[in-house]
Amino acid sequence: MSSTAAHAAAPARPVRSHALRDAATMLRRNLKRARRYPSLTATTVIMPVVMLLLFVYVFGGALGTGIAPVAGSGEAVRYVDYIAPGILLMAVTSGAIATAVAVAVDMTEGTVNRFRTMAISRASVLTGHVVGSLVQTAIGLVAVLGAALACGFRPNATVVEWAAALGVLMLLAFALTWVSAAMGLVAKTVESASNAPMPLTFLPFMGSSIVPPESMPGALRWFAEYQPFTPVNETLRGLLMGTPIGSSGPLALAWSAVLALAGYLWARRKARRAQR
Amino acid sequence: MSTTTTTKTSGPVADTAYSAPRAEDLAALLVSARRPPRPSALSASLTFGWRAMLKIKHVPEQLFDVTAFPIMMVLMYTYLFGGALAGSATRYIQFLLPGILTMSVVMITMYTGVAVNTDIQKGVFDRFRTLPIWRPAPMVGYLLGDVIRYLIASAVMLAVGMLIGYRPDGGVVGVLAGVALLLVFSFAFSWIWTMFGLLLRTEKSVMGVSMMVIFPLTFLSNVFVDPRTMPGWLQAFVNNSPVTHVASAVRDLMAGGWPAADIAWSLGWAGVFVVVFGTVTMRLYNRK
Repeated sequence: MSSTAAHAAAPARPVRSHALRDAATMLRRNLKRARRYPSLTATTVIMPVVMLLLFVYVFGGALGTGIAPVAGSGEAVRYVDYIAPGILLMAVTSGAIATAVAVAVDMTEGTVNRFRTMAISRASVLTGHVVGSLVQTAIGLVAVLGAALACGFRPNATVVEWAAALGVLMLLAFALTWVSAAMGLVAKTVESASNAPMPLTFLPFMGSSIVPPESMPGALRWFAEYQPFTPVNETLRGLLMGTPIGSSGPLALAWSAVLALAGYLWARRKARRAQR
Repeated sequence: MSTTTTTKTSGPVADTAYSAPRAEDLAALLVSARRPPRPSALSASLTFGWRAMLKIKHVPEQLFDVTAFPIMMVLMYTYLFGGALAGSATRYIQFLLPGILTMSVVMITMYTGVAVNTDIQKGVFDRFRTLPIWRPAPMVGYLLGDVIRYLIASAVMLAVGMLIGYRPDGGVVGVLAGVALLLVFSFAFSWIWTMFGLLLRTEKSVMGVSMMVIFPLTFLSNVFVDPRTMPGWLQAFVNNSPVTHVASAVRDLMAGGWPAADIAWSLGWAGVFVVVFGTVTMRLYNRK
């Protein structure tokens, strides 16, 4: 049998599928996995809800009275209204841990090595993780918002302001998801991947989420005022509660864009190195 | 022709060299005339306590929870929330430090259960059970060793507190009395975790259950804020929590007071923990 005939008999190489279709397949895979193993998703919801309950019911009375002079209010502030935007922010940051863990699991279990042998878009694996994480974060946000409303949170936002608030949260979620995806790629083990994004979940505490920066001492106050989560938090509070936003809006968008770009470039670099 | 030469030895020398040793001679060699006395309960417990101390020496990372975590908690709550909760960080530390000292020491009691569980998994416990010692000695030893860890945690936290402005009005006596009460309570409270250490199969499950019990108990207390600022239904739980009684007693002792009721409640709770969980632990230990 001639070599020409052999070539003719061999099946044609599959055409490289579209990146968008591959990403959609990977997204479906990630959502299926989230449905089969709901514990990680549940944890990302439980943590902010526990914080909400703790700060509203245990510290709320004392903090509501304590922050009144700083907030420019004569009487005690309804603390649930003050903290709820910050808790929504925490729901976004705790969602980042799930992304880092999911990416690390794929890296350490050799799943990525299998994908590498397939004729699929290289970027689709990470894109699937990121979009999947955004879907999970959105579900988590709804659950946390429900808990906040049950605790007495009463926002006075219009439909447009609600949409803007959701947009700000999802933009930040997008940024943090890329950062945590990169952390997942860098991590040697799943345990270290779950610990790496911890500072992200801790940063809202050191901003204006729980108490106004004005009530903090010098250096800490300076840090709280200029860290990325404070403008995001102030923007959310302004949109949902009608407090003045000022320059926080543009700053929130700028920080989110910078974090998203940095996270994306870092993740892409690490993914390329891993795929060599 | 063979080059091998055979030497035939006979007579009394050969018999002495190769005959089997007599049982009496062996016994005389191996067993001394007097059997060593059985160690007392205290001696055995202290030996196991020393073993727990050696573990700290060989694995110093476990002191991270005793030092770094409490320091982080003190600094975070004092500087982040102190201004909002009490007007200033300096004023808040006077209220917070005795409470957070209580919380931190109570939280690290759970490592007792983890240590017990680890030893069971490794099979060390089976060896201990074959020894002619007082049965509860290994358990009591764990707890005695952990008391040293609680002391280290207390010393670290008090040192940090003093650095950032804590000034106990009770002086040295008040501080020592507060720490002593806390150690007694923590020793008793640790029996809960020894029970779980024997009951559960893995380290992770011991940690998980411990967290589920400890977090509500410590946070739903008067460690951080006065319970009067909490909603009524929560006050009912907080005011009757063992951690609240201990924190109040430690706080008042360090401030120079003598809170008889809180001390009585704390010691009462400690007694209940030892009687109930100590008994259950020993029953589980004997059945293992």
